[in-house]
Amino acid sequence: MARPIDFGDARWYQRAVFYEISVRGFYDSNGDGTGDLRGLTEKLDYIEWLGVDCLWLLPFYESPLRDGGYDISDFFSVLPAYGDVKDAAQLIEEAHRRGIRVIADLVMNHTSDQHPWFQESRSSRDNPKADWYVWNDDDQRWSEARIIFVDTEPSNWTWDPQREQYYWHRFFHHQPDLNYANEEVRDAMLDVVRFWLDLGLDGYRLDAVPYLFERDGTNGENLPETHEYLQRVRATVDAEFPGRVLLAEANQWPSDVVQYFGDGDECHMCFHFPLMPRMFMSIRRAQRYPITEILAQTPDIPDGCQWGIFLRNHDELTLEMVTDEERDYMWSEYASDPLMRRNIGIARRLFPLLDNDRRIAELFHALLFSMPGSPVMYYGDEIGMGDNIYLGDRDGVRTPMQWTPDRNAGFSRADFAQLYLPTLMDPVYGYQAVNVEGETRNPSSFLHWLRRMLEIRREHPVFGIGTFEVLSAENPSVLAYLRRLEMEEGRESIVLCVSNLSRFAQPVELMLADLAGKVPVEMIGRVPFPSIGELPYFVTLPPYGFYWFTLHEEGSDE
Amino acid sequence: MIDANAIVSLLPDFLPRQRWYGAVDREVAGVEVDAFEVLREETPTLAWLLADVSFEDGSSATFQVPIGLRPLEQTERFLEGKGRSFLGDVDTDDGPALVYDALVDPELALALVRHIAPGEDVHRVRPLNVEQSNTSVVYDERLIMKLFRRVAEGPNPDVEMTEALASAGFGHISAPVAAWRRDGRDLAVVREFLDGGTVGWALALTSLRDVYDSRNDPSESGGNFAPEAGRLGRITAEMHLALAKAFGTSPGDPAAWADAMKSNLARSRARQLDGKAIRAKYEQLRKVKDSGVAMRIHGDYHLGQTMRTDRGWYVLDFEGEPAVPLSERRALSSPLRDVAGMLRSFHYAAQVALVERGEGADDAELRALGRRWEQHVSDAFCAEYFGTDGIDALVPQDEDDRQRVLDAFVLAKAVYEVGYELANRPDWVGIPLEAVTRILES
Repeated sequence: MARPIDFGDARWYQRAVFYEISVRGFYDSNGDGTGDLRGLTEKLDYIEWLGVDCLWLLPFYESPLRDGGYDISDFFSVLPAYGDVKDAAQLIEEAHRRGIRVIADLVMNHTSDQHPWFQESRSSRDNPKADWYVWNDDDQRWSEARIIFVDTEPSNWTWDPQREQYYWHRFFHHQPDLNYANEEVRDAMLDVVRFWLDLGLDGYRLDAVPYLFERDGTNGENLPETHEYLQRVRATVDAEFPGRVLLAEANQWPSDVVQYFGDGDECHMCFHFPLMPRMFMSIRRAQRYPITEILAQTPDIPDGCQWGIFLRNHDELTLEMVTDEERDYMWSEYASDPLMRRNIGIARRLFPLLDNDRRIAELFHALLFSMPGSPVMYYGDEIGMGDNIYLGDRDGVRTPMQWTPDRNAGFSRADFAQLYLPTLMDPVYGYQAVNVEGETRNPSSFLHWLRRMLEIRREHPVFGIGTFEVLSAENPSVLAYLRRLEMEEGRESIVLCVSNLSRFAQPVELMLADLAGKVPVEMIGRVPFPSIGELPYFVTLPPYGFYWFTLHEEGSDE
Repeated sequence: MIDANAIVSLLPDFLPRQRWYGAVDREVAGVEVDAFEVLREETPTLAWLLADVSFEDGSSATFQVPIGLRPLEQTERFLEGKGRSFLGDVDTDDGPALVYDALVDPELALALVRHIAPGEDVHRVRPLNVEQSNTSVVYDERLIMKLFRRVAEGPNPDVEMTEALASAGFGHISAPVAAWRRDGRDLAVVREFLDGGTVGWALALTSLRDVYDSRNDPSESGGNFAPEAGRLGRITAEMHLALAKAFGTSPGDPAAWADAMKSNLARSRARQLDGKAIRAKYEQLRKVKDSGVAMRIHGDYHLGQTMRTDRGWYVLDFEGEPAVPLSERRALSSPLRDVAGMLRSFHYAAQVALVERGEGADDAELRALGRRWEQHVSDAFCAEYFGTDGIDALVPQDEDDRQRVLDAFVLAKAVYEVGYELANRPDWVGIPLEAVTRILES
């Protein structure tokens, strides 16, 4: 049953669940060992069945693929292995027909060194694009800027023998930064933005936005010029393509990230990076403070804005936004094998990080779906896929989607040797044990559980746009909060979420006297609990257990 | 008319039943009315009583009891199961009345806080669990009133210290909103309630349960408490710096500290203690050349006096050791005495979590784990405490002297605990005794 898209709903992203997909790893329609846009289109029925609202596609543009497609060599064409622009248009159209929106990655900060713009720019010091990239005679300028990929890059400057100058790059040396001080570059990028929105795309996830501009005496992050330009992008989108969304990747502290919302005139959404590692810490320490502390430090955001929250994604579990002490701790806890460490993070998928413990996986998703923000899931996590830490860079978490227990996990008809990355074949996470077909057939699978939770979340807009209030609890292992939303006719939708972060059963007394007279009804089974009175409300939770309650007036049938 | 003497005659039976009586080993010899006033005439009636109690051993104390009275035939649900809080019956002009501790009566608990902090608009009451030397009630999850049970001449250190810390800019306390004083005596204080907080003790037990169950090393296991202890160490140092700023410091006097420790030891009637060896350890203080300063300190510093919130650690309850006379509690001492108190608390936590496991407590591996947890957490606490900028001006800079002073205070604290446990919780006396043995053998 298709849910038609309401294109008049300009704030759809505040209530949406996003699903991140690597086109390369999802489904191979032509048997060449690499996933493609047509393959993804063929799997839209599954995505519709799962019940997510919006796809986020990793870069599918022309690229030498030295950084998973984040090294774009032509913004206006599709990587041939994935298909062509027509395939992209068809994917968007078919997704819309099923009530699913589509956004895609856009890398504004840099291009591949294979991009014709860079080839021209490096060819001489006086060509028409000579100033489109950031060139300098020495490699000492802006030494305050940190190096992000510390594993592979010794400097943010690399010598180009052709032009005999250094060029600036915040990421890999094969990804030169565009020079946003140049008006032509700023205009050219707006044309890129227009091109795909014109095709029907519902928005962009803007990669690495804090680094667009550089300035002397600064670390080159979050500069006012960068915000000004993003506001210009937003104004263009609002004027020419209303209802499309800009989702910023700014891996910064919440107090800095909120700048990317502007006054509601910059990005619609930003990822909340520090929340995710702290959820892992909370579970390991069996106490809520790592989570509640970071939420308490998170400023309010302008009307019409929304956080993007996630458990894992295509990158490493990033630890840039935790303290050194916390980072050491996370490393020792979750990356005992040094191979699992990538740059400043941990390159693992969700289930291996949780020792394949389904109870924690359920608890984590219950938190993800009920905390303030729009959840962003990562393909394969819904079936509990694993990773391959022996693959280079972050490829270990980008292996083929596991559809069936058949050859190549049902991902491709190609020879195994031809696959872009090997399928997982280990006894715990391999495709013979973990795949969509098996989990679809098993009514008690994690996949079915997750789908049910998504269904419940969809029925209650309070999860997306309600207020959020952490409740006092003397028991540090219990995290309880209220979500509240004023509805029509003075009604209020109230959801109470109570979670046990410890591996032991826990009791908690919640001070709910303000809500005396209301009846908590558990949301999965619709079981009414004893009504709330003047005394502390007593709840017991099994290990890693959680409850979602809607609060009803006593005697009402709702 | 309510006859104060009739009520007072009920006290010899009532007082020893209260946790805050704090004198299990002392019999009441006599009770006299120190002050009595009816704060509210209408039913339920609220009266306020200070009673001077003399004990068989010649010591004395003044107790504060807010009194509630309701007609005997009125049965109220909130009184069910509260037998411990009943004083008994008295005759009034309106007939026989039940006399009880007013703080168990929500209506009277509200009346009392309105009396103390008339500017605050409060509606809902939640009594907290019983504490050692006072009683606390939470209002609207926003304010907390602490009523001192044993009152004394002069300012109550809890009020005095928090007011001073607040003006010295130390933010990790809940500053007083209103204080109730009469005739130079502090009776109660109303503060902001620390929302979302967990007492440090509960947090430490959460960590220990994980350690004991997983049997992983405390530094590696999920329940690693060291980072929290480190943050607590830093807050503790900042508290001392603020206290030094607020009250000033004077040169430390290790010989006097040794004398005080020895006289406390002499007062202890615990046969299990090896007085000679303990005194010898105290004597080490006389060799100390660099003693750090003497200053106002928390005085009863342990995990139960700390609270973890979303805004970091907070320090609570500056009353000092309840069993010690007020004059001594306000005396200057080394800040290392507070450090010693916290180190003792880490030991208690490790042991109590072990006892929780019942028969499993005899497991040698678990005992070793508990010891390692304590060491790991203590190291983290001390590293941050002594690493805080400015703390060198307050504590000995010489490593050996620092250790001598700290050891002496740890030992003195454990000796105090032995006495406290014998008087209040004899089953627990093994915990401080173990610590005493350990220090003497080191």
